[in-house]
Amino acid sequence: MENAIEVKGLAKYYSNFKAIEDVQFEVKKGEIFGFLGPSGSGKTTTIKILTGQLNATEGEAFVFGESVSVLKNPTARKRFGVLTDNSGLYGRLSIIENLQLYCKLYDLPNSKVDEALDFVNLKEAGKKKISTLSKGMTQRVNLARAILHEPELLFLDEPTSALDPVNTLHIYNGLRALNNRGTTIFLTTHDMQEADVLCNRVAFLHKGKIQLLDKPGELKKQFADGTVTVELSNNEKIVLRKDSEGAEEMFQLMKENRVQTVHSNEPTLGDIFVKVTGGELV
Amino acid sequence: MTFSWKRVNAIFQKDFKDFSRNLAVSIVVFLPLILAAVYGRMGLDTIQAHFMNINMTFAMVGTYVQCCLIAEEKEKNTLRGLMLSPASTLEILGGKSLLSFVLTIVIAFFCAYLSEYRPANIAIIATAIVISSVFFIGLGTLLGLIAKSVMESSVIVLPVIAVFTMGSFVTVWIEKYPVLQIVEYLPNIQLIDLATKVESGAGFGDVISNLAIILIWTVVVYILTVVVYKKRMVD
Repeated sequence: MENAIEVKGLAKYYSNFKAIEDVQFEVKKGEIFGFLGPSGSGKTTTIKILTGQLNATEGEAFVFGESVSVLKNPTARKRFGVLTDNSGLYGRLSIIENLQLYCKLYDLPNSKVDEALDFVNLKEAGKKKISTLSKGMTQRVNLARAILHEPELLFLDEPTSALDPVNTLHIYNGLRALNNRGTTIFLTTHDMQEADVLCNRVAFLHKGKIQLLDKPGELKKQFADGTVTVELSNNEKIVLRKDSEGAEEMFQLMKENRVQTVHSNEPTLGDIFVKVTGGELV
Repeated sequence: MTFSWKRVNAIFQKDFKDFSRNLAVSIVVFLPLILAAVYGRMGLDTIQAHFMNINMTFAMVGTYVQCCLIAEEKEKNTLRGLMLSPASTLEILGGKSLLSFVLTIVIAFFCAYLSEYRPANIAIIATAIVISSVFFIGLGTLLGLIAKSVMESSVIVLPVIAVFTMGSFVTVWIEKYPVLQIVEYLPNIQLIDLATKVESGAGFGDVISNLAIILIWTVVVYILTVVVYKKRMVD
């Protein structure tokens, strides 16, 4: 499958500080790729380099097979959408007025505004001024702006960081629908559950370096400790290994009708991240 | 380089709506008009007095307002949004300058009307005013791109406004301090010189050097603006 993004040995240094170092990965077309890491791990720096907002100190980055420098060409910018933590909106204008501006810049009909507002569950609030919106609503308007032109490649930097669970779920469904229509999504987040729910593959970024890169399911298998937790009828919990010895013990417990529930001890992406980096998610 | 009038117009319309709801900046456009009305009632009918108003319009509406508009776009990260859109540098800077240009020309016209300035050759004065407006707006754009915030922009614009509008006061000391002759090449001084020549019957050919100097200033300021803008595109 063709790559939407290809990154080779990417590094960005600020004086003595290494924001990212030797970052290497590929994102396939049509994929939802999660770039995970705590605050300050280099996620936003990577997005900024990939969208032409920042020059890399070392390495190369390609978007749709062409160097990111091609994004300096305005026409090429039609192919991607960006939502970053510092995306700005015009506070004195309404939500609709903000989105209509971008419709005109992208040469789209104004009807796209309604579609985008529906996507972020803000159809009823279109006439509200941006300056009166909550952080979560502003975030949703920014997302609406990023998906307005249904880009081939969408960069999302912490898209649901300020959202409540209902709207988060609404956005997840919208992103899946967008992905089904062919949009490749590059998602940075420190929310491991979000990555687990949405992403086909994830990369763990820690202190500017990629520590792991694989499918969430594969990582869970790889880091599973091979045990199950059995809750007995007397509410006691015991851990059994998933081997012949554990199977015999389980068989015995079941025979004695003492098993209430059985839980697989599969690690979460958060557990794996902490194990790999020795750090905590912030 | 691509150019779409639709995109320029979209930015202009957005700026118009935003500006009309921004009283802190929009109120500034009335200052030159008040000054012109006062001068008109005082019966000050010299080229210096008329162009005091017009240069004030350039400084306050062309440079100050434009500087604030650009600095606000930068401070609120909306300029980044425009930079990441399909709009080209020319479309963004053109769209962002159009409102200030229209306002500058309209206010300059009303200032001339209120101070009862009736130029001997409207075509020459109109040409000079259009070129000067473009220069002062370019200067505002440049300062707005350099400033980190709206607050900072309103501070850094002051000395520049002083030099480019009050420069004529310095000319009285030129005989004593020859180094100050450089002030004569400022665009506002050139504009006054041009207007004075026009009143004594000069035609386009007689003021070509004045127009050329203003044009050189304009070109230089826009080259600097584009260089700074390109730098701002990358963090």
